[in-house]
Amino acid sequence: MTNAVKKGRKKSRGIVRRSAKTIFAFFYGMPIVWIILTSFKQETDVFSTQSSLFFSPTLSTYRKLLTSSLFESFTNSIIIATCATVITLLVSIPAGYALARFSNKTLGIGLTALIIFQMIPQTATIIPLFQIFNKLGMLDTLPSVILADAALLTPFAILLMRPFFRSIPVALVEASQIDGASSWQSFSKISLPLARNGIATTATLIWIISWGEFLYAVNLILSPNSYPMSAILAQQVGGFGIFWPGLMALSVLASLPVAILFIFTYRLLREGLTLGAVK
Amino acid sequence: MTLLSTKSSIDAIRSAQRKGGHLLYVVPAVFLLTLLSAFPLFQLARMSFSDVGIKNITGVWTNVGFANFKAIASDPDFKQILINTLVFVGIVTFLGLILGFVAATAFNDAKKSSDFLLAFMVFIWALPPIVNGSVWKFLLGGDGLINVLLQKVSLISEPIPFLYDPKMALYSVAMVNCWAVIPFNALILKAAFKSVSKDVLEASEIDGVTPLQQIRYVYFPSSRPTLLVLAILTLVYGFRSFDFIYVMTYGGPGLATNTLPFLGYIKAFVLFDFSKGAAIALLSAIFTSGLALLYSRSVRKEEQND
Repeated sequence: MTNAVKKGRKKSRGIVRRSAKTIFAFFYGMPIVWIILTSFKQETDVFSTQSSLFFSPTLSTYRKLLTSSLFESFTNSIIIATCATVITLLVSIPAGYALARFSNKTLGIGLTALIIFQMIPQTATIIPLFQIFNKLGMLDTLPSVILADAALLTPFAILLMRPFFRSIPVALVEASQIDGASSWQSFSKISLPLARNGIATTATLIWIISWGEFLYAVNLILSPNSYPMSAILAQQVGGFGIFWPGLMALSVLASLPVAILFIFTYRLLREGLTLGAVK
Repeated sequence: MTLLSTKSSIDAIRSAQRKGGHLLYVVPAVFLLTLLSAFPLFQLARMSFSDVGIKNITGVWTNVGFANFKAIASDPDFKQILINTLVFVGIVTFLGLILGFVAATAFNDAKKSSDFLLAFMVFIWALPPIVNGSVWKFLLGGDGLINVLLQKVSLISEPIPFLYDPKMALYSVAMVNCWAVIPFNALILKAAFKSVSKDVLEASEIDGVTPLQQIRYVYFPSSRPTLLVLAILTLVYGFRSFDFIYVMTYGGPGLATNTLPFLGYIKAFVLFDFSKGAAIALLSAIFTSGLALLYSRSVRKEEQND
């Protein structure tokens, strides 16, 4: 093959690649740009300046939104996401550690059960959960949502962390035990620090997912006054005559914590997801 | 300590661990999952064989045998729901994988711009689904950006009813779901491409293969195990998906965007027919459990290859 042909191929490959990248950039960039733009528009401007990048921006929507009740639902979201993350981690870290070391039939059954729990639609689990929390008198409380989220995410967390514990050499753990460390010591002093990337990845993802979760929230919490952000969004977008600048400004506020977290953890997430998702 | 006793103490530790030295570590998880995953499933099953409405949900349930399932199966709309589910899941899985592969291929160069774009897409994947659903409901509306742009370039004269036309709505919501899953698939596949050895790539280039042939004969086969796992994951994602349906159409117009799991939810929480909702939910759960078995088998195979 001549160099000219090679060069030609390289060039055409570059063009194809660049146009594909442009298309992806458009379809993923445009929605974000429009969320932000619309949140700064007057309601009357929303549709008259729909396709235009130029309009007179206003902060009035944000000013109207930023009330004490919004602050309350923001706090509820933080409480739900943080408590669900803590409970899930407390339960799944030791389980992920143990399942990484087992090697027998029980393991197969355990893993399969976890995968089954992980895959059952949330729209299915909310039906009995509603009944159970109703019977326990826990409806309309944050703990019901926190516990439901923890149960939803525990199988996912265990499965995501297991490969990190598996990648720790068995010899290391055994050496510590020969040196007289108890099982708990070798877990907490050797394995836990070595699996910290996996734990951090898992914690981030659980926090992000429970931050955005809304199906459990809108059904287990009965009074919209105690809704988290995600449930407020779900309620607003479902109504008639949507106030778009308001909805988009809410979307921006609900996305900010995710954005901040994402900036600090993307590298970790990238490694963690590729290790945990497919294994 | 002599070498022999070291070995025997390792054996002792190993056998203790195999016998369940780690059993205590799984107790909290087993406790939580028994109470809040297994028991609810049991309740769901019980509910689907009983007559439960909003009045007796915390009271006494009477057993009605298979009545709920029979009623669902004889509902003339049920066939439509099954077709909806098939079309929806089919689009999400098929296009989600293909476009994820395309994106991974496009980003598979050493350029900063590719890394940045992929990171940005993964960020959007991580945003609350309710945010992504809201913005697409806005963009696809009658006066939404997509319709305005298409009218500006005179491709259409009347706005397209993306979400209001019973036929189109299902495709629109499926496409947005697809859009939401592509970043994840691209991220995983791009990582899988890294395992293709440089030698194979160089050899194929010396042999003069075209870029398309390289994708077909080098990248595709080497990422096949990953693609298989992703296929199951995307299938399950599409089947479980409710957030975009909830936000963009709430199952409408009519039943047009109801999938099986969503119908179960509507029956229970909109029509307050908990037993029929539970029966449909149980069918959905049985379906995903089948896929879970398939997935667990293929993952275990991968692990044994380590």
